[in-house]
Amino acid sequence: MNELQFQALLPFIVLAAASILVILSIAFGRSHTFIQVAGFGMMCLVVLAMWLVRDALPREIAPLLVVDGLGALFTGLIIFSVLVIGLLSFIYFEEREENPKEYYILLFLATLGSAVLTISRHFISLFIGLELLSVSLYALIAYLRTRNNAVEAGMKYLMLAALSSAFLLFGMALIYLETGSMEFTGIARGLPSSGTPILFIMGMGFLLVAIGFKLALAPFHLWAADVYQGAPSPVTVFIATVSKTGVFAVLLRFAQAVHLQQYPAAMTIVVVISVASMIVGNLLALQQQNIKRLLAYSSIAHFGYLLVAFLPGDAAGAEAGFFYLLAYSITLLSAFGVITLLSTRQEDAGDLSGYRGLFWRDPVMGAVLAVALLSLAGIPLTAGFLGKFLVLGAGIGRQLWVPVIVLVLTSVIGLYFYLRVISTLFEKMPPAPARARPLHPFFYYATYAVLILLMGLSFWLGTFPRPAIREIEALLNIRLL
Amino acid sequence: MDIILLQANTLTTGANQNSSFSYFPIGVQLLFALGFVGLVLGVTHLLGPKRKTAEKLQNFESGIEGVGNARHPMAIKYFLVAILFVLFDVEVIFFYPYAVNFRGLGWNGFVEVLLFVGFFLAGFIYIIKKGALTWED
Amino acid sequence: MILVWIIGLLLCGGILCWLTDTWKAGYAKWIALASVVADGLIISALLVHFVTGTGPQAVSPYPAPQVTTPSAEPHAASPHAATPWLIDYRNTWIPSFGISLRLSMDGLSLILLSLTIFLGLLAVLSSWKEISERTGFFYFNLLWTLAGIAGVFLATDLFLFYFFWEVMLVPMYLLILIWGDSNRRYAAYKFFLFTQAGGLLMLLAILALYFIHGRQSGTYTFDYFAILQSTLSPTAARWIMLGFLAAFAVKLPVVPLHNWLPDAHSEAPTAGSIVLAGLLLKTGAYGIIRFVLPFFPQASTAIAPWAMLAGVISIVYGALLAFAQTDLKRLIAYTSVSHMGFVLLGIFAMQETAMQGVVIQLIAHGISTGALFAIAGMIKERLHTRELARMGGLQTSMPAMGNLAMVFAMASLGLPLFGNFIAEFLILLGAFPQYATLVVIASTALVFSALYCLRMMMRVFFGPAAPPTITPPTASAQQDIDSREWIILGLLCVGIVLLGLYPQPVMDLAKETIQQLTLNFRI
Repeated sequence: MNELQFQALLPFIVLAAASILVILSIAFGRSHTFIQVAGFGMMCLVVLAMWLVRDALPREIAPLLVVDGLGALFTGLIIFSVLVIGLLSFIYFEEREENPKEYYILLFLATLGSAVLTISRHFISLFIGLELLSVSLYALIAYLRTRNNAVEAGMKYLMLAALSSAFLLFGMALIYLETGSMEFTGIARGLPSSGTPILFIMGMGFLLVAIGFKLALAPFHLWAADVYQGAPSPVTVFIATVSKTGVFAVLLRFAQAVHLQQYPAAMTIVVVISVASMIVGNLLALQQQNIKRLLAYSSIAHFGYLLVAFLPGDAAGAEAGFFYLLAYSITLLSAFGVITLLSTRQEDAGDLSGYRGLFWRDPVMGAVLAVALLSLAGIPLTAGFLGKFLVLGAGIGRQLWVPVIVLVLTSVIGLYFYLRVISTLFEKMPPAPARARPLHPFFYYATYAVLILLMGLSFWLGTFPRPAIREIEALLNIRLL
Repeated sequence: MDIILLQANTLTTGANQNSSFSYFPIGVQLLFALGFVGLVLGVTHLLGPKRKTAEKLQNFESGIEGVGNARHPMAIKYFLVAILFVLFDVEVIFFYPYAVNFRGLGWNGFVEVLLFVGFFLAGFIYIIKKGALTWED
Repeated sequence: MILVWIIGLLLCGGILCWLTDTWKAGYAKWIALASVVADGLIISALLVHFVTGTGPQAVSPYPAPQVTTPSAEPHAASPHAATPWLIDYRNTWIPSFGISLRLSMDGLSLILLSLTIFLGLLAVLSSWKEISERTGFFYFNLLWTLAGIAGVFLATDLFLFYFFWEVMLVPMYLLILIWGDSNRRYAAYKFFLFTQAGGLLMLLAILALYFIHGRQSGTYTFDYFAILQSTLSPTAARWIMLGFLAAFAVKLPVVPLHNWLPDAHSEAPTAGSIVLAGLLLKTGAYGIIRFVLPFFPQASTAIAPWAMLAGVISIVYGALLAFAQTDLKRLIAYTSVSHMGFVLLGIFAMQETAMQGVVIQLIAHGISTGALFAIAGMIKERLHTRELARMGGLQTSMPAMGNLAMVFAMASLGLPLFGNFIAEFLILLGAFPQYATLVVIASTALVFSALYCLRMMMRVFFGPAAPPTITPPTASAQQDIDSREWIILGLLCVGIVLLGLYPQPVMDLAKETIQQLTLNFRI
């Protein structure tokens, strides 16, 4: 490994080192605050390392990894999300029954897994990354193990993730059988230049099943609502943003490498999954009374939208897809930030009735949540609107009328339940008893500030997306052929 | 750095052949295996004499009589020790391929293995400090 | 740049209202008033500038034609007519997608912008006492709605247009949701879902146009003037036009899609009703005039008879339903459906006289309906009801309000002396040569309008008073209008009469735009 390769891999190495650091500091009996601060310091180091990565792009670490613009971009998004999640975690776990320290080991490992996914160019690294991510998530989801919902959620995720891993391996095996290679570029080379490679398409089908599980796309979405509801709020948002970002990145890279768009059969599968997700997600969200479940179903729909950006397989699609994920991550982080702050020691603030009149009780939190929901609904001024706009543009540019029209119609349905929550926020109600003084004022107000920052970011991306888009375009163009 | 992957490249030549035919031997073997198993099970079932006694339906415990229910709660310590044993056992297994390639991998390989051991050492320290291996409460 | 200021003032004023309210209640309304008045000053300066001499109107080579005589006009316009655009502002926004921050104003925009600020001012004034809680947030929403509407009237970048189109929705939704009447939640949902569904279809159409234009010319842009140059295949034009029409027909509203309107209008607070009826509906008409007709001349000619039929159905259906209402605000809401039917009829007549009528109808309807909603709001403040059955005989206790209401009712039913008369007359006149049957049907509907207006006056102000068991005579219920309400209604009254007596400046302002537009349809 030469120096530039090392430089390119530095963020990932620091992430791995961070988990070791946390293990050792738990072993030597440091406090939660110490671990939180040390973890934050390590994350800052990762961010610094990301800065160095810029100069080393693109870099191949044969045969498993490639750190190029796409990988750096998605890794950056992952690290940004984890920074916020780390902050949310402190308040959340400090007040819970379970010892919070081991949580951070798992968090770093899961982050590493997701980050490895974004830079993998080989089935082996894909699988390692995915397993690192899933295995950590099993434990993270069931972390509050005395709660019934948490254990149920953990078990469900365990069973389905194991099943999906099996599908993934079988799909990989089939593709290997057809092409004789596990490298993405090698697979592309091994594919016959004419005719339909049946084994490859079958393998791709299995692969899509596994990826569909991870992204909670219909019809593989059955775990989503229960897991979202049962998991601790910071973990829920981790599943919703970080884990899905990594999986989507690797899907994108793989599809680009093998030119998946050439195979109508495979694309039909994707279209069907996308349309089904949009319809199922939005329809099932209509009747939800629990905001975490509601966001689970809405995330199913949102990844259906995201697949519309994936379908064209061109630069505009990738750009739209990334921007959409960025907007979606910011939005979900702020929404779950509010949920985390509102959660009590006994249970997460899931029930919608608890949000009645939030805007009047706590204008900042109410505004943050309202803006997040508007962004999810795709209303202008927010990042979500521009994301949806780019996705629609990418779809229409390739004349994908069916998914595009389904997208538009289902987002009107989606609007209904977002409005339902928003109108709950604005409902009049007698003033609730004042909340107890926050236990940890510093972290409480830091979280508060971050939420406001996220809201500002959403507005900024929604109104002046120019610098962001320019950066995304530039980075996506840095790639190895 | 060379990461040695257990990746065969024999099939790169095989892929060019008529693929449906090249699976034929596998299919024959599969059929044969299934047929053999089915045959043996069926034949022994038909031919063998059947005498059912209470003793024959009991678990075979090397002549010792079974006592009580097997599914009663056990102390978590057993599981912990067992799973930790498996974990560190697997670590040792990884040394075998390294030992075989010791010269070939050179100093680079040595550093990598050292890192590997270091990670496990950190885990080991964690386990000890957590008290996972202290038998007496 | 001045156009940016107009919108920016409203946006900043809104934020300021919200912020100041958190530490000092009572300032918000003054800030709101100040920012609307400041905007009003800018606009009146512009109006004075462009109406009296110094603007392009004066240098325009064409003498003011006799607009009411259609035979004179084919010579009035030539393909080389001066550009109707008065002010153009342009800045980059997201250049990689060809999105720019382009605001342009022509006569039509200026007219509608003045209406926006005028009604905005009255909306602020009429909620002076009505809104007692969360005033800061209320004025924030009100001003942002106004800003969105102003932006819609000015944007000449399709993306920007859609942006403003949506920006006005959310604050309006909140206005209904938070400060509305008992059934506000349902009304707010309905309003938002209807308009958003239409809006998203329009977004699809905009994107399709963007790509078609990009493929043709090689430059991908959302610029209105650039897209105007592209040619469409008939099929594409038809579908894309339907996308645009979906949004505008919901807003206008055209009859099968009018469902949201009565609920939203009747549940909204007074200011909300004024803005909804006076301004929001106008954005639909404006959209058709600005986008649908110039972009798709052939396709819209093809659909014109159907659109006019829908217009006539709206006129008759709205009038009939207005007659049957027992709720004062719902009654007024249905009159809007009827009046906007005239707008649709006039637009798709594609004829200069009718189009002039449409422009005047937009203003006249804005003023008269706005005034009626203001009066309904004042009555509701006093009696706490919208039910016609619980009113009656109010003329004795509040004669001034009764007289003013009479004025606006007469305006609404289209009596001469008022703007509505001029407008409806011009529309019917313009449409008559081609579509005589439809015009005859529409004219009969004028009889209905007299019926519902007079019924409303009779039930509310004349006729027997409601028995005291139903409406207990309290002190507040006896009060006649105070000076603030005098200002509101007086301004509206002056406006509608002026428009009825001397509509020429409005016609002059809109003339260039209309001529440019109708040029496309001369065969």
